[in-house]
Amino acid sequence: MTEALIECLYAAPGSTLKTGDKLLDLSVDLSGNFAQDCPPISYFRIIIREAIVLRELRVARGESCPVGHLIALFGSTADGATDQPPQRGIRIATAGIIHHGGMWTGNDH
Amino acid sequence: MEIPLRLGPLKVEGYTIHRSGVRWLCEAGQMCRAHQAIAFFNLTLEPVGARQKGPSPFAEERELQVVCAPRVGGRVLYDSAAAPGGYLSVLGINLWEADTVLGHLEPDGSAAEPEGDPGQLRLLMLAGRRMTPLVDVHSGLLPGWNGRSRGWWCGPGETPVGETPVTLLSLGICDVTGVIMGEQCAFLEMFRAETAPTQFVFIPDHPIAPAAPVLLDQLERTDAQLRAITTDLQAGLARAGTPTANDWMFAGTMLATLEQCPIRDSYDLISPSGFTKSKPANAILLSLNSEPPTMLRHKTLGYHIHILRHHQNAAGPAIRNWLATAFESVPRTTADIKKDYESLIDAIAKSTGARVLVLNRMSTSGDENISTYAPFDSPLSATLANIASKELNLMLHDIAPGRNLAIIDIDAIAADIGGSEHLPDGMHQSREMQEILRAEILHFLNDLRLER
Repeated sequence: MTEALIECLYAAPGSTLKTGDKLLDLSVDLSGNFAQDCPPISYFRIIIREAIVLRELRVARGESCPVGHLIALFGSTADGATDQPPQRGIRIATAGIIHHGGMWTGNDH
Repeated sequence: MEIPLRLGPLKVEGYTIHRSGVRWLCEAGQMCRAHQAIAFFNLTLEPVGARQKGPSPFAEERELQVVCAPRVGGRVLYDSAAAPGGYLSVLGINLWEADTVLGHLEPDGSAAEPEGDPGQLRLLMLAGRRMTPLVDVHSGLLPGWNGRSRGWWCGPGETPVGETPVTLLSLGICDVTGVIMGEQCAFLEMFRAETAPTQFVFIPDHPIAPAAPVLLDQLERTDAQLRAITTDLQAGLARAGTPTANDWMFAGTMLATLEQCPIRDSYDLISPSGFTKSKPANAILLSLNSEPPTMLRHKTLGYHIHILRHHQNAAGPAIRNWLATAFESVPRTTADIKKDYESLIDAIAKSTGARVLVLNRMSTSGDENISTYAPFDSPLSATLANIASKELNLMLHDIAPGRNLAIIDIDAIAADIGGSEHLPDGMHQSREMQEILRAEILHFLNDLRLER
Protein backbone atom coordinates (compact mmCIF):
# COMPACT_ATOMS: atom_id res chain seq x y z
CA MET A 1 0.00 0.00 0.00
CA THR A 2 1.52 3.29 -1.11
CA GLU A 3 -1.40 5.70 -1.06
CA ALA A 4 -4.95 6.30 0.11
CA LEU A 5 -7.92 7.78 -1.72
CA ILE A 6 -9.84 10.51 0.12
CA GLU A 7 -13.44 9.32 -0.10
CA CYS A 8 -15.27 11.90 2.09
CA LEU A 9 -14.38 15.04 4.00
CA TYR A 10 -16.60 15.84 6.96
CA ALA A 11 -14.98 19.02 8.31
CA ALA A 12 -14.14 22.36 6.75
CA PRO A 13 -11.23 24.64 7.65
CA GLY A 14 -12.10 26.75 10.67
CA SER A 15 -14.28 24.05 12.20
CA THR A 16 -13.98 23.36 15.89
CA LEU A 17 -13.87 19.63 16.35
CA LYS A 18 -14.44 17.58 19.46
CA THR A 19 -13.78 14.01 20.46
CA GLY A 20 -15.86 11.70 18.31
CA ASP A 21 -16.24 14.02 15.33
CA LYS A 22 -15.68 12.57 11.90
CA LEU A 23 -12.77 13.99 9.94
CA LEU A 24 -12.70 11.97 6.74
CA ASP A 25 -13.23 8.56 5.10
CA LEU A 26 -10.49 7.04 2.99
CA SER A 27 -9.84 3.85 1.09
CA VAL A 28 -6.62 1.94 0.67
CA ASP A 29 -5.89 -0.58 -2.04
CA LEU A 30 -3.25 -3.18 -1.23
CA SER A 31 -2.85 -4.01 -4.92
CA GLY A 32 -2.05 -2.04 -8.03
CA ASN A 33 -5.81 -1.58 -8.49
CA PHE A 34 -6.39 -3.22 -11.83
CA ALA A 35 -9.91 -2.24 -12.74
CA GLN A 36 -11.17 -5.68 -13.70
CA ASP A 37 -9.55 -7.67 -10.92
CA CYS A 38 -10.92 -7.99 -7.46
CA PRO A 39 -8.99 -5.26 -5.70
CA PRO A 40 -8.16 -5.67 -2.01
CA ILE A 41 -9.67 -2.33 -1.02
CA SER A 42 -10.50 -1.42 2.58
CA TYR A 43 -12.39 1.64 3.79
CA PHE A 44 -11.58 3.55 6.95
CA ARG A 45 -12.99 6.50 8.89
CA ILE A 46 -10.73 8.87 10.79
CA ILE A 47 -12.32 10.09 14.03
CA ILE A 48 -11.02 13.00 16.11
CA ARG A 49 -10.09 12.14 19.71
CA GLU A 50 -9.40 15.58 21.15
CA ALA A 51 -10.87 19.07 21.07
CA ILE A 52 -9.11 20.89 18.27
CA VAL A 53 -9.60 23.36 15.43
CA LEU A 54 -9.07 22.46 11.80
CA ARG A 55 -6.95 25.22 10.31
CA GLU A 56 -6.19 23.90 6.86
CA LEU A 57 -7.06 20.90 4.69
CA ARG A 58 -4.39 19.90 2.20
CA VAL A 59 -6.41 17.24 0.42
CA ALA A 60 -9.60 17.20 -1.62
CA ARG A 61 -12.30 14.59 -2.01
CA GLY A 62 -11.22 12.13 -4.69
CA GLU A 63 -7.53 12.90 -4.23
CA SER A 64 -4.93 10.18 -3.79
CA CYS A 65 -2.43 10.82 -1.02
CA PRO A 66 0.89 9.04 -0.70
CA VAL A 67 1.79 7.45 2.61
CA GLY A 68 3.18 10.10 4.95
CA HIS A 69 1.52 12.98 3.12
CA LEU A 70 0.38 15.83 5.41
CA ILE A 71 -3.38 16.03 4.91
CA ALA A 72 -4.50 18.68 7.44
CA LEU A 73 -3.19 21.16 9.96
CA PHE A 74 -4.84 21.71 13.32
CA GLY A 75 -4.37 24.06 16.22
CA SER A 76 -5.98 25.16 19.43
CA THR A 77 -7.40 28.18 17.62
CA ALA A 78 -8.52 28.84 14.06
CA ASP A 79 -5.95 31.50 13.46
CA GLY A 80 -2.29 30.77 13.55
CA ALA A 81 0.57 29.89 11.32
CA THR A 82 0.13 27.07 8.85
CA ASP A 83 3.53 27.38 7.31
CA GLN A 84 5.47 25.97 10.25
CA PRO A 85 6.34 22.27 10.67
CA PRO A 86 3.67 20.50 12.79
CA GLN A 87 4.62 20.00 16.41
CA ARG A 88 2.78 16.70 16.84
CA GLY A 89 0.18 14.46 15.30
CA ILE A 90 -3.37 14.84 16.55
CA ARG A 91 -5.10 12.07 18.44
CA ILE A 92 -7.35 10.09 16.15
CA ALA A 93 -9.13 6.78 16.00
CA THR A 94 -9.26 4.66 12.85
CA ALA A 95 -12.30 2.50 12.15
CA GLY A 96 -12.90 0.06 9.32
CA ILE A 97 -16.20 1.02 7.69
CA ILE A 98 -18.60 -0.26 5.08
CA HIS A 99 -18.51 1.36 1.65
CA HIS A 100 -21.37 3.85 1.27
CA GLY A 101 -22.97 5.92 -1.45
CA GLY A 102 -21.56 9.21 -0.18
CA MET A 103 -18.03 8.17 -0.98
CA TRP A 104 -16.03 9.42 -3.96
CA THR A 105 -16.21 5.85 -5.26
CA GLY A 106 -19.89 5.67 -4.31
CA ASN A 107 -22.98 5.97 -6.42
CA ASP A 108 -22.19 9.34 -7.94
CA HIS A 109 -18.89 8.25 -9.48
CA MET B 1 15.22 -47.47 -11.05
CA GLU B 2 12.92 -45.84 -13.58
CA ILE B 3 9.17 -46.31 -13.54
CA PRO B 4 7.30 -45.81 -16.83
CA LEU B 5 4.42 -43.37 -16.31
CA ARG B 6 1.34 -44.71 -18.07
CA LEU B 7 -1.89 -42.87 -18.84
CA GLY B 8 -4.27 -45.66 -17.87
CA PRO B 9 -7.73 -46.37 -19.26
CA LEU B 10 -10.50 -43.87 -19.93
CA LYS B 11 -13.71 -44.80 -21.69
CA VAL B 12 -16.87 -43.21 -23.07
CA GLU B 13 -19.21 -45.72 -24.71
CA GLY B 14 -19.90 -44.89 -28.35
CA TYR B 15 -16.97 -42.50 -28.59
CA THR B 16 -13.25 -42.60 -28.95
CA ILE B 17 -11.24 -40.28 -26.78
CA HIS B 18 -8.58 -38.25 -28.54
CA ARG B 19 -5.82 -36.31 -26.87
CA SER B 20 -3.32 -33.68 -27.77
CA GLY B 21 0.41 -34.11 -27.36
CA VAL B 22 1.54 -33.80 -23.79
CA ARG B 23 1.90 -30.33 -22.29
CA TRP B 24 4.33 -30.48 -19.41
CA LEU B 25 3.74 -28.65 -16.15
CA CYS B 26 7.24 -29.38 -14.85
CA GLU B 27 10.74 -29.15 -16.24
CA ALA B 28 12.57 -32.21 -17.55
CA GLY B 29 14.49 -33.75 -14.67
CA GLN B 30 12.51 -31.83 -12.05
CA MET B 31 11.91 -33.42 -8.67
CA CYS B 32 8.15 -33.71 -8.12
CA ARG B 33 6.12 -34.73 -5.13
CA ALA B 34 3.54 -37.49 -5.16
CA HIS B 35 0.21 -36.22 -6.51
CA GLN B 36 1.82 -33.11 -8.03
CA ALA B 37 0.46 -32.26 -11.48
CA ILE B 38 3.22 -32.79 -14.02
CA ALA B 39 1.45 -32.69 -17.39
CA PHE B 40 -1.87 -32.25 -19.12
CA PHE B 41 -3.64 -32.95 -22.41
CA ASN B 42 -6.57 -31.45 -24.26
CA LEU B 43 -9.26 -34.04 -24.99
CA THR B 44 -11.96 -34.41 -27.61
CA LEU B 45 -14.61 -37.09 -28.09
CA GLU B 46 -15.27 -38.53 -31.53
CA PRO B 47 -18.39 -40.62 -32.15
CA VAL B 48 -17.84 -44.17 -33.28
CA GLY B 49 -19.83 -44.99 -36.41
CA ALA B 50 -23.15 -43.19 -36.80
CA ARG B 51 -23.56 -39.99 -34.79
CA GLN B 52 -25.46 -40.58 -31.57
CA LYS B 53 -28.99 -39.27 -31.04
CA GLY B 54 -29.31 -36.36 -28.65
CA PRO B 55 -26.54 -34.20 -27.30
CA SER B 56 -23.14 -35.80 -27.02
CA PRO B 57 -21.45 -36.07 -23.63
CA PHE B 58 -19.89 -32.79 -22.54
CA ALA B 59 -21.83 -30.97 -25.26
CA GLU B 60 -21.87 -27.83 -23.10
CA GLU B 61 -18.24 -28.08 -22.10
CA ARG B 62 -15.87 -27.18 -24.89
CA GLU B 63 -12.86 -27.21 -22.62
CA LEU B 64 -11.96 -30.77 -21.72
CA GLN B 65 -8.54 -31.59 -20.34
CA VAL B 66 -6.88 -34.24 -18.25
CA VAL B 67 -4.06 -33.55 -15.81
CA CYS B 68 -1.60 -36.27 -14.77
CA ALA B 69 0.22 -36.72 -11.47
CA PRO B 70 2.55 -39.49 -10.28
CA ARG B 71 1.55 -41.54 -7.26
CA VAL B 72 5.06 -41.37 -5.84
CA GLY B 73 7.57 -38.55 -5.67
CA GLY B 74 10.74 -38.46 -7.72
CA ARG B 75 12.56 -37.08 -10.74
CA VAL B 76 10.43 -36.78 -13.86
CA LEU B 77 12.06 -37.72 -17.16
CA TYR B 78 10.35 -36.69 -20.40
CA ASP B 79 9.58 -38.95 -23.31
CA SER B 80 10.38 -36.45 -26.05
CA ALA B 81 8.07 -38.17 -28.54
CA ALA B 82 5.08 -37.43 -26.30
CA ALA B 83 5.31 -33.68 -26.80
CA PRO B 84 5.39 -32.79 -30.50
CA GLY B 85 4.65 -29.14 -29.67
CA GLY B 86 2.82 -26.52 -31.73
CA TYR B 87 -0.76 -27.29 -32.61
CA LEU B 88 -0.05 -30.99 -32.18
CA SER B 89 0.08 -30.32 -28.44
CA VAL B 90 -3.23 -28.45 -28.62
CA LEU B 91 -5.46 -30.47 -30.93
CA GLY B 92 -6.78 -33.94 -30.14
CA ILE B 93 -4.90 -35.86 -32.81
CA ASN B 94 -3.85 -38.95 -30.84
CA LEU B 95 -6.07 -41.74 -29.65
CA TRP B 96 -6.17 -42.05 -25.86
CA GLU B 97 -4.52 -45.40 -25.14
CA ALA B 98 -4.12 -46.80 -21.65
CA ASP B 99 -0.58 -48.04 -22.22
CA THR B 100 0.83 -44.78 -23.58
CA VAL B 101 4.00 -43.94 -21.68
CA LEU B 102 4.27 -40.25 -20.94
CA GLY B 103 7.74 -40.37 -19.48
CA HIS B 104 9.59 -42.01 -16.63
CA LEU B 105 10.04 -41.37 -12.94
CA GLU B 106 13.05 -42.03 -10.75
CA PRO B 107 11.39 -42.50 -7.33
CA ASP B 108 12.98 -40.58 -4.49
CA GLY B 109 12.00 -43.29 -2.02
CA SER B 110 10.62 -40.68 0.33
CA ALA B 111 7.33 -42.46 0.87
CA ALA B 112 5.94 -45.94 0.86
CA GLU B 113 4.94 -47.08 -2.57
CA PRO B 114 1.20 -46.97 -3.21
CA GLU B 115 -0.84 -50.11 -3.58
CA GLY B 116 -0.97 -51.38 -7.15
CA ASP B 117 1.03 -50.02 -10.06
CA PRO B 118 3.23 -47.07 -9.01
CA GLY B 119 3.60 -46.09 -12.66
CA GLN B 120 -0.13 -45.65 -13.10
CA LEU B 121 -0.69 -41.90 -13.20
CA ARG B 122 -3.41 -40.24 -11.19
CA LEU B 123 -5.78 -38.37 -13.49
CA LEU B 124 -7.65 -35.13 -12.84
CA MET B 125 -10.29 -34.37 -15.46
CA LEU B 126 -11.07 -30.71 -16.11
CA ALA B 127 -14.17 -29.46 -17.89
CA GLY B 128 -15.02 -25.84 -18.64
CA ARG B 129 -18.34 -24.42 -19.84
CA ARG B 130 -17.37 -21.32 -21.76
CA MET B 131 -19.16 -18.07 -21.00
CA THR B 132 -19.45 -17.85 -24.78
CA PRO B 133 -18.30 -20.36 -27.40
CA LEU B 134 -16.28 -17.51 -28.90
CA VAL B 135 -13.73 -17.83 -26.12
CA ASP B 136 -11.49 -20.19 -28.03
CA VAL B 137 -8.24 -19.91 -26.10
CA HIS B 138 -5.49 -22.50 -26.16
CA SER B 139 -3.36 -21.39 -23.28
CA GLY B 140 -2.84 -23.50 -20.20
CA LEU B 141 -5.28 -25.19 -17.87
CA LEU B 142 -9.00 -24.41 -18.14
CA PRO B 143 -8.18 -21.56 -20.50
CA GLY B 144 -10.39 -18.64 -21.48
CA TRP B 145 -13.48 -17.45 -19.68
CA ASN B 146 -15.56 -20.25 -18.23
CA GLY B 147 -18.97 -19.76 -16.69
CA ARG B 148 -18.50 -23.09 -14.95
CA SER B 149 -15.28 -24.98 -14.28
CA ARG B 150 -15.01 -28.38 -12.70
CA GLY B 151 -12.49 -31.03 -11.90
CA TRP B 152 -12.79 -34.63 -10.72
CA TRP B 153 -10.42 -37.47 -10.10
CA CYS B 154 -10.85 -40.00 -12.90
CA GLY B 155 -7.83 -42.30 -12.79
CA PRO B 156 -8.08 -46.07 -12.37
CA GLY B 157 -9.28 -46.95 -8.90
CA GLU B 158 -9.99 -43.35 -7.93
CA THR B 159 -13.75 -43.78 -8.08
CA PRO B 160 -15.08 -47.31 -7.51
CA VAL B 161 -17.15 -48.69 -10.39
CA GLY B 162 -20.79 -47.73 -9.99
CA GLU B 163 -20.07 -44.82 -7.68
CA THR B 164 -19.89 -41.12 -8.38
CA PRO B 165 -17.58 -38.72 -6.59
CA VAL B 166 -18.73 -36.45 -3.80
CA THR B 167 -19.32 -33.10 -5.48
CA LEU B 168 -18.80 -29.67 -3.96
CA LEU B 169 -20.26 -26.68 -5.82
CA SER B 170 -18.51 -23.41 -5.05
CA LEU B 171 -20.77 -20.35 -5.20
CA GLY B 172 -18.77 -17.62 -3.55
CA ILE B 173 -16.66 -14.63 -4.43
CA CYS B 174 -12.90 -14.23 -4.29
CA ASP B 175 -12.54 -15.53 -0.75
CA VAL B 176 -13.44 -19.00 -2.05
CA THR B 177 -11.91 -18.76 -5.53
CA GLY B 178 -8.30 -19.36 -4.54
CA VAL B 179 -9.24 -21.94 -1.95
CA ILE B 180 -11.17 -24.08 -4.42
CA MET B 181 -9.41 -23.35 -7.71
CA GLY B 182 -5.86 -23.04 -6.43
CA GLU B 183 -3.05 -20.91 -7.76
CA GLN B 184 -3.30 -22.19 -11.35
CA CYS B 185 -7.10 -22.07 -11.28
CA ALA B 186 -7.38 -25.78 -12.03
CA PHE B 187 -8.10 -27.51 -8.68
CA LEU B 188 -4.51 -28.79 -8.52
CA GLU B 189 -4.09 -28.20 -4.78
CA MET B 190 -7.34 -30.01 -3.96
CA PHE B 191 -6.27 -32.87 -6.24
CA ARG B 192 -2.93 -33.13 -4.45
CA ALA B 193 -4.52 -32.99 -1.02
CA GLU B 194 -7.31 -35.54 -1.52
CA THR B 195 -7.36 -38.98 -3.10
CA ALA B 196 -10.91 -40.00 -2.19
CA PRO B 197 -13.39 -39.66 -5.10
CA THR B 198 -14.19 -35.99 -5.34
CA GLN B 199 -15.45 -33.42 -7.80
CA PHE B 200 -15.19 -29.64 -7.42
CA VAL B 201 -17.37 -27.27 -9.41
CA PHE B 202 -16.63 -23.57 -9.51
CA ILE B 203 -18.93 -20.77 -10.62
CA PRO B 204 -17.27 -17.34 -10.99
CA ASP B 205 -18.71 -14.18 -9.46
CA HIS B 206 -19.01 -12.29 -12.73
CA PRO B 207 -21.01 -10.64 -13.99
CA ILE B 208 -23.49 -11.44 -11.19
CA ALA B 209 -22.20 -12.35 -7.76
CA PRO B 210 -23.90 -15.31 -6.03
CA ALA B 211 -25.71 -13.56 -3.18
CA ALA B 212 -28.45 -15.63 -1.57
CA PRO B 213 -31.40 -13.80 -3.27
CA VAL B 214 -29.73 -14.27 -6.67
CA LEU B 215 -29.36 -18.01 -6.08
CA LEU B 216 -32.90 -18.28 -4.78
CA ASP B 217 -34.21 -16.48 -7.87
CA GLN B 218 -32.24 -18.90 -10.07
CA LEU B 219 -33.80 -21.87 -8.30
CA GLU B 220 -37.34 -20.55 -8.69
CA ARG B 221 -37.17 -18.81 -12.08
CA THR B 222 -39.55 -20.05 -14.76
CA ASP B 223 -39.00 -19.94 -18.51
CA ALA B 224 -41.68 -17.24 -18.77
CA GLN B 225 -39.84 -15.13 -16.21
CA LEU B 226 -36.58 -15.56 -18.08
CA ARG B 227 -38.29 -14.44 -21.30
CA ALA B 228 -39.65 -11.38 -19.48
CA ILE B 229 -36.15 -10.55 -18.20
CA THR B 230 -34.73 -10.87 -21.72
CA THR B 231 -37.45 -8.68 -23.22
CA ASP B 232 -37.01 -6.04 -20.55
CA LEU B 233 -33.24 -5.98 -21.00
CA GLN B 234 -33.60 -5.60 -24.76
CA ALA B 235 -36.06 -2.74 -24.27
CA GLY B 236 -33.76 -1.11 -21.73
CA LEU B 237 -30.86 -1.18 -24.16
CA ALA B 238 -33.05 0.19 -26.96
CA ARG B 239 -34.21 3.08 -24.77
CA ALA B 240 -30.60 4.01 -24.01
CA GLY B 241 -29.80 4.83 -27.64
CA THR B 242 -26.90 3.04 -29.26
CA PRO B 243 -25.42 0.40 -26.98
CA THR B 244 -21.69 -0.09 -27.15
CA ALA B 245 -19.84 -3.37 -27.56
CA ASN B 246 -19.33 -3.42 -23.80
CA ASP B 247 -23.10 -3.10 -23.31
CA TRP B 248 -23.85 -6.04 -25.59
CA MET B 249 -21.17 -8.23 -24.03
CA PHE B 250 -22.30 -7.38 -20.53
CA ALA B 251 -25.93 -8.03 -21.46
CA GLY B 252 -25.09 -11.36 -23.08
CA THR B 253 -23.07 -12.67 -20.18
CA MET B 254 -25.64 -11.41 -17.70
CA LEU B 255 -28.41 -13.30 -19.50
CA ALA B 256 -26.19 -16.38 -19.76
CA THR B 257 -25.79 -16.26 -15.98
CA LEU B 258 -29.44 -15.61 -15.22
CA GLU B 259 -30.62 -18.55 -17.32
CA GLN B 260 -28.39 -21.00 -15.45
CA CYS B 261 -29.14 -22.68 -12.14
CA PRO B 262 -25.85 -24.26 -11.02
CA ILE B 263 -27.43 -25.76 -7.91
CA ARG B 264 -29.57 -28.04 -10.10
CA ASP B 265 -26.83 -28.88 -12.62
CA SER B 266 -25.96 -32.54 -13.11
CA TYR B 267 -22.55 -33.52 -14.44
CA ASP B 268 -21.10 -35.67 -17.21
CA LEU B 269 -18.20 -37.78 -15.98
CA ILE B 270 -15.50 -39.77 -17.74
CA SER B 271 -13.97 -42.68 -15.87
CA PRO B 272 -11.92 -45.80 -16.64
CA SER B 273 -15.13 -47.84 -16.63
CA GLY B 274 -17.11 -45.53 -18.90
CA PHE B 275 -19.33 -42.50 -19.04
CA THR B 276 -21.60 -41.67 -16.13
CA LYS B 277 -23.79 -38.77 -15.16
CA SER B 278 -23.77 -37.59 -11.59
CA LYS B 279 -26.60 -35.94 -9.73
CA PRO B 280 -26.47 -32.31 -8.58
CA ALA B 281 -23.81 -31.34 -6.07
CA ASN B 282 -23.84 -32.98 -2.64
CA ALA B 283 -22.54 -29.84 -0.98
CA ILE B 284 -22.67 -26.15 -1.77
CA LEU B 285 -20.05 -23.70 -0.55
CA LEU B 286 -21.22 -20.14 0.01
CA SER B 287 -19.34 -17.05 1.07
CA LEU B 288 -20.82 -14.68 3.63
CA ASN B 289 -18.82 -11.95 1.94
CA SER B 290 -21.15 -12.37 -1.06
CA GLU B 291 -24.00 -10.82 0.90
CA PRO B 292 -24.03 -7.05 0.38
CA PRO B 293 -25.78 -4.54 2.66
CA THR B 294 -27.79 -3.33 -0.34
CA MET B 295 -28.91 -5.18 -3.46
CA LEU B 296 -30.49 -4.23 -6.74
CA ARG B 297 -34.06 -5.45 -7.26
CA HIS B 298 -35.88 -5.04 -10.55
CA LYS B 299 -38.72 -2.58 -10.07
CA THR B 300 -41.34 -4.53 -11.99
CA LEU B 301 -40.01 -8.08 -12.44
CA GLY B 302 -38.80 -8.38 -8.84
CA TYR B 303 -35.60 -10.35 -9.44
CA HIS B 304 -32.33 -9.50 -7.72
CA ILE B 305 -28.85 -8.90 -8.99
CA HIS B 306 -25.58 -8.10 -7.25
CA ILE B 307 -22.72 -6.84 -9.39
CA LEU B 308 -19.44 -6.31 -7.58
CA ARG B 309 -18.21 -2.76 -8.00
CA HIS B 310 -15.09 -3.72 -9.90
CA HIS B 311 -17.23 -5.63 -12.38
CA GLN B 312 -19.62 -2.73 -12.92
CA ASN B 313 -16.79 -1.03 -14.80
CA ALA B 314 -17.23 -3.60 -17.57
CA ALA B 315 -20.72 -2.33 -18.41
CA GLY B 316 -21.24 0.26 -21.13
CA PRO B 317 -23.40 3.37 -20.72
CA ALA B 318 -26.63 1.69 -21.85
CA ILE B 319 -26.37 -1.07 -19.26
CA ARG B 320 -25.50 1.44 -16.57
CA ASN B 321 -28.54 3.50 -17.52
CA TRP B 322 -30.74 0.39 -17.45
CA LEU B 323 -29.41 -0.61 -14.05
CA ALA B 324 -30.01 2.90 -12.73
CA THR B 325 -33.57 3.19 -14.03
CA ALA B 326 -35.00 -0.34 -14.03
CA PHE B 327 -33.70 -1.38 -10.60
CA GLU B 328 -34.09 -0.07 -7.08
CA SER B 329 -31.52 -0.34 -4.35
CA VAL B 330 -32.85 -2.42 -1.46
CA PRO B 331 -31.11 -2.22 1.93
CA ARG B 332 -30.57 -5.48 3.79
CA THR B 333 -30.31 -5.81 7.54
CA THR B 334 -28.69 -8.77 9.23
CA ALA B 335 -32.22 -10.10 9.81
CA ASP B 336 -32.94 -9.82 6.07
CA ILE B 337 -29.78 -11.71 5.20
CA LYS B 338 -30.66 -14.38 7.77
CA LYS B 339 -34.08 -14.77 6.19
CA ASP B 340 -32.53 -15.01 2.71
CA TYR B 341 -30.09 -17.68 3.89
CA GLU B 342 -32.86 -19.69 5.53
CA SER B 343 -35.02 -19.49 2.41
CA LEU B 344 -32.10 -20.51 0.21
CA ILE B 345 -31.05 -23.44 2.42
CA ASP B 346 -34.66 -24.66 2.56
CA ALA B 347 -35.04 -24.33 -1.22
CA ILE B 348 -31.79 -26.24 -1.80
CA ALA B 349 -32.90 -28.97 0.61
CA LYS B 350 -36.17 -29.30 -1.27
CA SER B 351 -34.59 -29.16 -4.73
CA THR B 352 -31.48 -31.34 -4.43
CA GLY B 353 -30.90 -32.13 -0.76
CA ALA B 354 -27.40 -30.65 -0.85
CA ARG B 355 -25.69 -29.67 2.39
CA VAL B 356 -24.61 -26.05 2.67
CA LEU B 357 -21.37 -24.83 4.16
CA VAL B 358 -20.37 -21.23 4.37
CA LEU B 359 -17.18 -19.26 4.86
CA ASN B 360 -17.79 -16.62 7.50
CA ARG B 361 -16.12 -13.21 7.66
CA MET B 362 -13.01 -11.83 9.30
CA SER B 363 -14.29 -9.53 12.04
CA THR B 364 -11.18 -7.90 13.44
CA SER B 365 -8.52 -5.68 11.95
CA GLY B 366 -5.15 -4.60 13.22
CA ASP B 367 -5.65 -1.35 11.33
CA GLU B 368 -8.42 -0.27 13.73
CA ASN B 369 -7.92 1.53 17.01
CA ILE B 370 -11.42 2.42 18.18
CA SER B 371 -11.36 3.51 21.82
CA THR B 372 -15.06 4.33 22.07
CA TYR B 373 -18.08 3.56 19.95
CA ALA B 374 -19.82 6.77 21.03
CA PRO B 375 -19.06 8.61 17.77
CA PHE B 376 -20.91 6.03 15.69
CA ASP B 377 -24.64 6.06 15.11
CA SER B 378 -26.76 3.07 15.92
CA PRO B 379 -26.88 0.45 14.55
CA LEU B 380 -23.10 0.18 14.56
CA SER B 381 -23.24 -2.57 11.98
CA ALA B 382 -24.57 -0.08 9.42
CA THR B 383 -21.25 1.76 9.49
CA LEU B 384 -18.53 -0.35 11.05
CA ALA B 385 -17.40 -3.21 8.85
CA ASN B 386 -16.10 -5.39 11.66
CA ILE B 387 -19.24 -4.99 13.76
CA ALA B 388 -21.28 -5.95 10.72
CA SER B 389 -19.05 -8.99 10.26
CA LYS B 390 -19.47 -10.04 13.90
CA GLU B 391 -23.26 -9.76 13.67
CA LEU B 392 -23.34 -11.70 10.40
CA ASN B 393 -21.07 -14.40 11.83
CA LEU B 394 -23.38 -14.74 14.83
CA MET B 395 -26.34 -14.88 12.48
CA LEU B 396 -24.84 -17.99 10.87
CA HIS B 397 -24.70 -19.65 14.28
CA ASP B 398 -28.39 -18.85 14.77
CA ILE B 399 -29.16 -20.65 11.51
CA ALA B 400 -26.77 -23.57 11.85
CA PRO B 401 -28.48 -25.87 14.38
CA GLY B 402 -31.90 -25.89 12.74
CA ARG B 403 -30.73 -26.26 9.17
CA ASN B 404 -27.56 -28.33 9.46
CA LEU B 405 -25.49 -25.46 8.12
CA ALA B 406 -21.74 -25.99 8.37
CA ILE B 407 -19.52 -22.98 9.03
CA ILE B 408 -15.89 -22.62 8.10
CA ASP B 409 -14.54 -20.16 10.62
CA ILE B 410 -12.36 -17.77 8.64
CA ASP B 411 -12.57 -15.39 11.59
CA ALA B 412 -10.99 -17.81 14.03
CA ILE B 413 -8.45 -19.22 11.57
CA ALA B 414 -7.19 -15.77 10.58
CA ALA B 415 -7.01 -14.65 14.19
CA ASP B 416 -5.10 -17.81 15.02
CA ILE B 417 -2.42 -17.56 12.33
CA GLY B 418 -2.31 -13.77 12.05
CA GLY B 419 -4.82 -11.70 10.10
CA SER B 420 -2.38 -8.97 9.15
CA GLU B 421 -0.03 -11.44 7.51
CA HIS B 422 -2.49 -13.95 6.10
CA LEU B 423 -5.67 -11.95 5.44
CA PRO B 424 -4.49 -8.36 5.10
CA ASP B 425 -7.68 -6.90 3.64
CA GLY B 426 -10.04 -9.32 5.38
CA MET B 427 -10.85 -11.06 2.09
CA HIS B 428 -7.86 -12.39 0.17
CA GLN B 429 -5.93 -15.13 1.97
CA SER B 430 -2.29 -16.18 1.89
CA ARG B 431 -1.28 -19.59 0.53
CA GLU B 432 -0.90 -20.92 4.08
CA MET B 433 -4.38 -19.82 5.03
CA GLN B 434 -5.84 -21.26 1.83
CA GLU B 435 -4.26 -24.61 2.68
CA ILE B 436 -5.91 -24.55 6.10
CA LEU B 437 -9.27 -23.72 4.53
CA ARG B 438 -8.86 -26.53 2.00
CA ALA B 439 -8.23 -28.95 4.83
CA GLU B 440 -11.41 -27.75 6.55
CA ILE B 441 -13.45 -28.22 3.37
CA LEU B 442 -11.99 -31.67 2.73
CA HIS B 443 -12.74 -32.63 6.32
CA PHE B 444 -16.36 -31.60 5.77
CA LEU B 445 -16.53 -33.61 2.54
CA ASN B 446 -15.10 -36.70 4.21
CA ASP B 447 -17.81 -36.45 6.87
CA LEU B 448 -20.35 -36.11 4.08
CA ARG B 449 -18.87 -39.15 2.34
CA LEU B 450 -19.46 -41.20 5.46
CA GLU B 451 -23.07 -40.00 5.66
CA ARG B 452 -23.80 -41.11 2.06
